Amino acid sequence: MGSYILRRVCSTVAVMAMVGIFVFLLLRLAPGDPAAMIAGKSASAEVIARIRQQMGLNDSLPVQFMRWVHDILRGDLGTSIFAGRPVLELISQRLEPTLSLSILTMILSATVGICFGIIAAWRAGGLEDRILTGFATLGFSVPVFVVGFFLIYFFAIKARWLPVQGYLPIGSGLWPWLMHLILPSVTLSIPYVAFIARITRASMLEVLSEDYMRTAAAKGASSYSMLFHHALKNAGAPILTVIGLSFAGLIGGVVITETVFNIPGAGRLVVDAINSRDYPVIQGVLVLVSGMYVLINLAIDLSYTLVDPRIRY
Amino acid sequence: MVMGSFLRAFDPISTTDDTSQSHGLAIFDTLFALDSKFMVQPQMVHKWGISDDQKTYTFELRDGLGWHDGTAVTAADCVASIRRWAGVQSGGQLMMKRVKDISKKDDRTFIIALKEPLGLLPEILASAPPLFMMREKDANRPATEQVTTNVGSGPFKFNEALSKPGARITYDRNEKYVARRESADGFAGGKVVNVDRVVWENIADQQTAYAALQASEIDFIQSPSVDLIPVIESNPDLQLEILDKGGRILLLRMNCLQKPFYNVKARQAMLHLVDQEAFLQAAFGNPKYYRTVTSLFGNDTPYSNDENTGWFKEGGDPETAKILLKEAGYAGEKIVLLQPTDWTESSNASQLLAAELRKIGANVELAPSDWGGIVERRAKTGPVEDGGWSLFITDHSNYGTTQPHTNIDLTANGKEGWYGWPTSNEYEALRAKWVEVKTLEERKALAREMQKLYWDFVGMVYLGAYVQPSARRKALTRLIGMPAYLPMWNMQKGSA
Repeated sequence: MGSYILRRVCSTVAVMAMVGIFVFLLLRLAPGDPAAMIAGKSASAEVIARIRQQMGLNDSLPVQFMRWVHDILRGDLGTSIFAGRPVLELISQRLEPTLSLSILTMILSATVGICFGIIAAWRAGGLEDRILTGFATLGFSVPVFVVGFFLIYFFAIKARWLPVQGYLPIGSGLWPWLMHLILPSVTLSIPYVAFIARITRASMLEVLSEDYMRTAAAKGASSYSMLFHHALKNAGAPILTVIGLSFAGLIGGVVITETVFNIPGAGRLVVDAINSRDYPVIQGVLVLVSGMYVLINLAIDLSYTLVDPRIRY
Repeated sequence: MVMGSFLRAFDPISTTDDTSQSHGLAIFDTLFALDSKFMVQPQMVHKWGISDDQKTYTFELRDGLGWHDGTAVTAADCVASIRRWAGVQSGGQLMMKRVKDISKKDDRTFIIALKEPLGLLPEILASAPPLFMMREKDANRPATEQVTTNVGSGPFKFNEALSKPGARITYDRNEKYVARRESADGFAGGKVVNVDRVVWENIADQQTAYAALQASEIDFIQSPSVDLIPVIESNPDLQLEILDKGGRILLLRMNCLQKPFYNVKARQAMLHLVDQEAFLQAAFGNPKYYRTVTSLFGNDTPYSNDENTGWFKEGGDPETAKILLKEAGYAGEKIVLLQPTDWTESSNASQLLAAELRKIGANVELAPSDWGGIVERRAKTGPVEDGGWSLFITDHSNYGTTQPHTNIDLTANGKEGWYGWPTSNEYEALRAKWVEVKTLEERKALAREMQKLYWDFVGMVYLGAYVQPSARRKALTRLIGMPAYLPMWNMQKGSA
């Protein structure tokens, strides 16, 4: 197990390095000039050229790359071209909203999705199954921003129960924090609930048709015991995989929800940085997110041993 | 508050970006400022004088000026700030050509000594983008390197702890700010702050911003999108207000160094082709907020005139445009029109222009990109085959047209000028006279002469003028309306 974890952690570093090189090159080859963005719409070419020189953007790509790598090895992700603040500081400011939104969404999605999946499998072919399958199809089909605006209209503008937008850190109190996350989490969780429900239903149906389930039924096991003690445990690995991948995807993929609900998270940070060609911020966020993605996958792989004792590393 | 675009760069000297200038107005102060009639008024300056030979200006700072870090504003700070500003801003560069020396006389007095008289010096010091005063240690940094300390002497203090760059910017009232006794007037007068705190939220989605405005979570949207205007108009709690009454002018820049627009007839063809009404309709939709513009010096400015505007026809004149394009020797070469996909108005106008050009037989290729891509490509002077460009649509302030001596859009000095690089030595000679003439009448006459030439060599083409209404909750009142930038003093928030 120890050597397995070590190997995977080493592979995380390799993935981050590859992402770093790829992102660095892609940004330099794509059209756009941070110096021109800083100088503004009406700036002269002469001023832009001087800013480029000042920022070291006229240096050759290898020189710029080596400078970046040198800084990263010292634990410095660079300084935002626009904000003039360390990239690490900007990311740390934005990580809490994204993680809060992602964790809450995942808790909601996993809880509701697994319950729906179990009910649908238990009542396969029945009314409940059809309703839940219909919901799952709808959940996949409706774009997140449409759901978001509907929820904003009814719960924030009409009922005034919840705020339209914004984020308050957890330090400002549990309820204020939660209040700002309810609508975004519900919005974001709908496709994930649908996805997890479908995977749970399929896995459960497969397990429920196994011989040992018939044996359990013949032995007089209750429905609860059959579903939760026997079936769910054996159907757990694919469900865990889906939850893990969804969570990893959420970390880097919440940008639409962050935009609709004006949550100052990492997704918004990187999109704004792309629009303004803030190279150090884009590079820093993407490298860190790729590292987190790999580590979450490692955590999922390790968690298999908890639900299935037959799995060994 | 939600600004037209979110604050990207903190340093208002190193950028021409409007939101950075509004940030500058909040935390920095200026030596002079323009009032609502665009007259120059002293701001940090207490009194000033000119020597008999008109070559030496002496400025004395007023009492009570202090930086947000608690230290006093000195003449040395001002000298360093002027030098830094003059390194990048066109007004400053023009001034420095005539400056012999800028020096401090004592802690509250400094002197600008000129090689030859420059009657417009106070106007230049008050012109836009503003000359903000910074601490000497900040101003000693190169103008091309951003100052991000955000320590000024203005009516607001930057609240670092409550600001998240790119997400939220917070300003607190500067309790120690000593406002002038005059009432607020444009960028001038007493900068009295009536609110404890102002927060700029970066709400990227206009629909969300509108929902937040409805729910009283924000009080102001500087530039609501065109499709939201009717909804805002119908909401009794909200008010639309045009703060920049002069508005902006949508315009077409042509690459005068490459074919076909290196030929003046091709540029004249564009002047005749454009049906301003159609472009304004495509870009802005609501006639209430746009109008045509024929004067190089914009609408309703002291220098607006009708010299050499016979090219303007309702509906445009595509037949004449077709003939002129042919006379220019155009033989179907590719015309690349840069289309900013993240700027709806310019993007719509670009699509219309491409369609109109195709109708007169031009081979047009739209090159869609975000604005970030366009600002890089527009700097390329070469032919389209080498990644260059032929046309792009941008805009400038109507008020900016009154400053041809500092407005880089209005130059015609080839590669030393702005993108498109038109050249007319005759026009440039007239433009140089702008700072020489002494009276308004003389300047008006000069404006007519300049315009006569300009619409012959066609350095750019106007597509129409528009104003941008801002949306606010009715509880927020007394906002100051000035071109492009938003001063935040004077405004008041009631309980409604």
